[in-house]
Amino acid sequence: MNEFMEKKVQFKWHEPKKHYDVVIIGGGGHGLSTAYFLATRHGVTDVAVLERSYIGGGNSGRNTTVIRSNYGIPEAVRFYQRSVELYYQLEAETERWIMHKQKGLLWLAHTEAAVRAEVARAEINTAFGADTEYVTPKQIKEICPEIDLSGGGAWPVIGGSYHPAGSTARHDRVNWALAEGANRRGVHIHQRTAVTGLLMDGDRVTGVETTAGPISAKVVLSAVGGHVTTLAKMAGLRLPIRTHPLQAYVTNHYELTFNPIVASTSLLFYVSQTARGEMLIGAEIDRQPSYSYNSGHHFLQSCSFRAITLLPFLRNLRILRQWTGVCDMSPDYSPIMGKTGVEGFYITTGWGTWGFKAIPAGGEQMAQLIATGQTPEPIAPFSLDRFANDRTLADRGSAGTH
Amino acid sequence: MPELKRLPATRIVATPAALDAAKWPDGTLALRLASDELLVTPPVANPALDDPHAIIIADAGYAGVWLPEAEALAFLERACEWELPVQRPAFAQGAVAGIAAKLWFEAGRVLLIVPAPLIADFEERMA
Amino acid sequence: MRLIVDGQPIAFDPGDTLLVAMLRADLHPTGGGCLCLGGDCPHCLATVDGVAYVRTCQVAAKPGQVVERQHQAGYPPLPETHRPGPTVIARNRHCDVVVIGAGEAGRAAAVEAEAAGKQVLVLEAKDGQEVVGIYHGPLVVARTNEGMLHVHAREEVIVATGAAEIQPVAPGSDLAGLVTARAAGQLAAAGIDLGRVVAVGTPPDGVEAAAVEGELVRFEGQGQVEAVVIRGADGREQRVECDTVSLGLGFHPRDALRRMGRDWRVRAVGDAAHESDIPPCPAAGIVCPCSGVSVEDLDFIWAQGFHELELVKRATLAGTGTCQGSVCLPYVRSFLADRGQVLQPPFTARPVTRQLTLGEIAAGAHHQATPRTALDGEHRRLGAQMERIGGWWRPWNYGHVLEEYWAVREAVSIGDVSTLGKMIVSGPDTLELLERLYPTNVATIKPGRSRYVLLLDERGYVLDDGLICKETDTRYTLTFTSGGSSHAEMWVRDWAASWGLDVRLLNQTMTLGAINVTGPLANDLLDRAGLTDRPPYMGYARGVVAGVECQVFRLSFTGELSYELHHPAQDSVRLWRALLELGADLGLKPHGIEALLKLRLEKGHIIVGQDTAFDSTPRRIAHEWAVKLSKPEFVGRQAIIRTNKLPLDKQLVGFEMDGPAPIEGAVIWHNGQFAGHVTSSTWSPVLGQAVMLGWLYFFDGELPAVVTIDNRPARRVETPFYDKEARHARA
Repeated sequence: MNEFMEKKVQFKWHEPKKHYDVVIIGGGGHGLSTAYFLATRHGVTDVAVLERSYIGGGNSGRNTTVIRSNYGIPEAVRFYQRSVELYYQLEAETERWIMHKQKGLLWLAHTEAAVRAEVARAEINTAFGADTEYVTPKQIKEICPEIDLSGGGAWPVIGGSYHPAGSTARHDRVNWALAEGANRRGVHIHQRTAVTGLLMDGDRVTGVETTAGPISAKVVLSAVGGHVTTLAKMAGLRLPIRTHPLQAYVTNHYELTFNPIVASTSLLFYVSQTARGEMLIGAEIDRQPSYSYNSGHHFLQSCSFRAITLLPFLRNLRILRQWTGVCDMSPDYSPIMGKTGVEGFYITTGWGTWGFKAIPAGGEQMAQLIATGQTPEPIAPFSLDRFANDRTLADRGSAGTH
Repeated sequence: MPELKRLPATRIVATPAALDAAKWPDGTLALRLASDELLVTPPVANPALDDPHAIIIADAGYAGVWLPEAEALAFLERACEWELPVQRPAFAQGAVAGIAAKLWFEAGRVLLIVPAPLIADFEERMA
Repeated sequence: MRLIVDGQPIAFDPGDTLLVAMLRADLHPTGGGCLCLGGDCPHCLATVDGVAYVRTCQVAAKPGQVVERQHQAGYPPLPETHRPGPTVIARNRHCDVVVIGAGEAGRAAAVEAEAAGKQVLVLEAKDGQEVVGIYHGPLVVARTNEGMLHVHAREEVIVATGAAEIQPVAPGSDLAGLVTARAAGQLAAAGIDLGRVVAVGTPPDGVEAAAVEGELVRFEGQGQVEAVVIRGADGREQRVECDTVSLGLGFHPRDALRRMGRDWRVRAVGDAAHESDIPPCPAAGIVCPCSGVSVEDLDFIWAQGFHELELVKRATLAGTGTCQGSVCLPYVRSFLADRGQVLQPPFTARPVTRQLTLGEIAAGAHHQATPRTALDGEHRRLGAQMERIGGWWRPWNYGHVLEEYWAVREAVSIGDVSTLGKMIVSGPDTLELLERLYPTNVATIKPGRSRYVLLLDERGYVLDDGLICKETDTRYTLTFTSGGSSHAEMWVRDWAASWGLDVRLLNQTMTLGAINVTGPLANDLLDRAGLTDRPPYMGYARGVVAGVECQVFRLSFTGELSYELHHPAQDSVRLWRALLELGADLGLKPHGIEALLKLRLEKGHIIVGQDTAFDSTPRRIAHEWAVKLSKPEFVGRQAIIRTNKLPLDKQLVGFEMDGPAPIEGAVIWHNGQFAGHVTSSTWSPVLGQAVMLGWLYFFDGELPAVVTIDNRPARRVETPFYDKEARHARA
């Protein structure tokens, strides 16, 4: 047995019932988290989570596991800071090891404009409860001695920001801890159960049609990643979402000596070392929208080239595998959470490249919405109608990398 | 190391039909950058074109270098992912060493053309 | 010939792989585990010349090679810095058909394709052409002795990689002395003394071995195998002493390349195309040697409710190690089929199949190229600090930002603005195109005049700003911001095409250089340069400046009298040097971007992208004057009409305050509440105070008159801060 094998989580599987109070479509992090918070905070347990594949098989099991709150607008800084805090307590609360580890996040700047952006990031973070400070090249070298500050002569590091709370956790473990926590309290999780349609009574959603038959529900939540526009269309909703692939890769396993998470917005890549010693490297979304999970050569080639520029020691590491997830991008780079205008149908989407870090707070807030019927204040700005109402949340702090 | 030099030229945007019908003096290269765009080098004074709205400007915004064919092909094998034409003469465009380039193939030699603002980057990548 | 293993030289024979060389010296690379010699298992890994996780069975032994053996316990250290080495190159090839593997099936497929007139390329790992992945194209990426090879297949890729041998799963499978049947034959042929060989399953070719029949129970020994225990058909265990166990337990296809290429024209032939043998469900032993997962572990995780192959993989980590499931996958599938009565398909095959370093895969990549203006050398010669700004190399300053600033305000200065986007539009529908694209009344622009304009998207948000200059009724020049010009060009082209308008478009950004002559003495300088016939404010004309043909635009970003001289880029250096020389005794100093940002901010001029945000409508940036809603149609009009009915929530406004300038991005507070943030901030030398632009929220329908920034009071004021009547610019 290796030390990283899951040793505690236990699932119970059930036959689907004909009716649940709440049906959650999508057994990824946000769906499972919502079920978990419904069960633990609101005592709502007549809940089914429907997953077309296996739990965490979509983007929740494909992301690069960074947790941070150094966003660029107050609404986002507060929301993600809540998530950072919930992550800190998740291991104790669930009594499951999610491999949460505080690493500190270094965000590097190579141009005067990027330096100004990092100064601004530190300012707005500090103002709204997230801990981020501007750092000089000398401080950067102290935090991460492996960095070549000259950027290979081409992209010198002239400043950056440091976010000590930046952490990672094992994505599967997070999904499982939440799934089991919900499951133990009575929530049903149905794998290999795809939603093929929505049951409607006039304009109201009353349940779902699935590959295992119809299931009625008082509330249906779409926590789908990837094909959310298709699903929303079934409820007559047109979502402002485009889906783009996002790729990443890992190297073989090495001794655990690389501490921080390092990101460069100009060179568009980020690097961390996993708990198991793999160097995990990712980049920005593919520009071309697609649902494809196929991995690309150009990404691997170009991202490796950029990563070596700043972290030359990576050159001789051997790559283990690359993979691809898909990201639902909203026009303003912020998530969409809440009511939809269609009765009985709620939504949590637009998780772009920041879904993993939002899993606890997203689930907590959506659970409160479902349990009370009232939109909680922290997620009110993220409602779908902000686009129609010209109250978008353009967040430059979320773009860039992951 | 080969040096790229600004390429004195005439750039023309006109209807495809007008460009199809146009005639150029011997010794002139008329590279069709797009259905409605030509790069003519060396420059031609007052070209006759059947398009009253044609845009015709003197242009040295591109830079080029002639290379012996073998040398060019050895470089392009490394720098160019797309398939090069085999017939001669031939014109092709695409990314070369990550830079938008235009290639003119003649028997025995090749003209490489890149935007002049990228001369320094391109020369570094050819080295 | 000798190479170095763990600091000790060992001899090797020509043609040896590293693994064979080590075995000759009686060294097992990892201490134990069944060796396959096929590149499929993790048992021959070592660190070779600083690169860890090298399969020594796939690497030719070379004199002086430095090998460090990787033992099961602990991972290799991260290299502290990289070792300088030769740059890996990448070459590109194109052919009709790529055949991967030159075994029997691969050769036959190649012969068949060639007979059909196809151009065929065969890649064989044994010849140093290791294919690591198949991608969209199909593109076959291989590592070769000469660097990386990218083969682009016009028609198809044929995977003829054969089959891997199934490894033993039984207690003691981590002992040395275990080899697959194929490996036993190859080692014997290489002259390695295998001692007493016992063959379990299919016996090896060309090796004298005692064959035993029955089910594998365990291997016995201390480090080195001493005996194998077999259970016969009668249920009785038989212990056979030996020095080597040859294991012929069946095959599973090396089909990872086919599986990762399933969406493209990729097919498998020969053994690679076969279904995997599914070995009997093991009773005990290590299933996944990379992650150390035993049968007991699988049983445990099954009992916990993990039944999907993917979940079992993720929970135990079986199949996530360096061999990516090559050893364990048949067994895990067998186990799950036994417990769940369903044979689950193999998990997804992902690149890379043969491991390679970041340095290798990066071969052929480049950074985004950063363009330079024709004056780049001039700026560097003058000692400018060059920065990437708006996608170009531009002079940030020439060492003395305040001197540069004062030269503009009090004397004359020149600045390189060649990076501005510049586009000619010509044709019968030109006016129609511009009226539909821009929110201004383009028809009212007179020939020889220009107008500042916003470019909006369909949501009514500001995309870019610039000028429209009218030459004739059917010909105009447009300018865009440096950073926004490539996007703006696509924007204009897309709309022109989708509306089907009869226009010609030519981007002359790199054709023309542009120098801004600015300052109260600009006219004196241009007089000296021979340009006496100058256009009026917001007008433009053609003229000759210091012998260079120019289009002269009179406008002002700095707030002082300014002329933009657009000229052929090849004449930039001549014009620049002439102006520097002619203006020397007028106090001329060139100015960089840092000074320019200060100067324009004093004038309250916005920079799209810095002061604007994603949702900046003309109303929010107080530019409603630039929008003529009375026009019947323009991009963004409908959105603006709709959003104008909504209450205004925030606006870009000016602030001034005493003391030093706050940082850009500073949070704006009003009575302890968040009220916005500063987008541009500078200390104004001419005004003696800090001036800012920033987003300010409305409170009860009002914009606060005084706010707190940087813990100090700041006053909201009308812009411009400097020269409100624009006397200087219009002088």
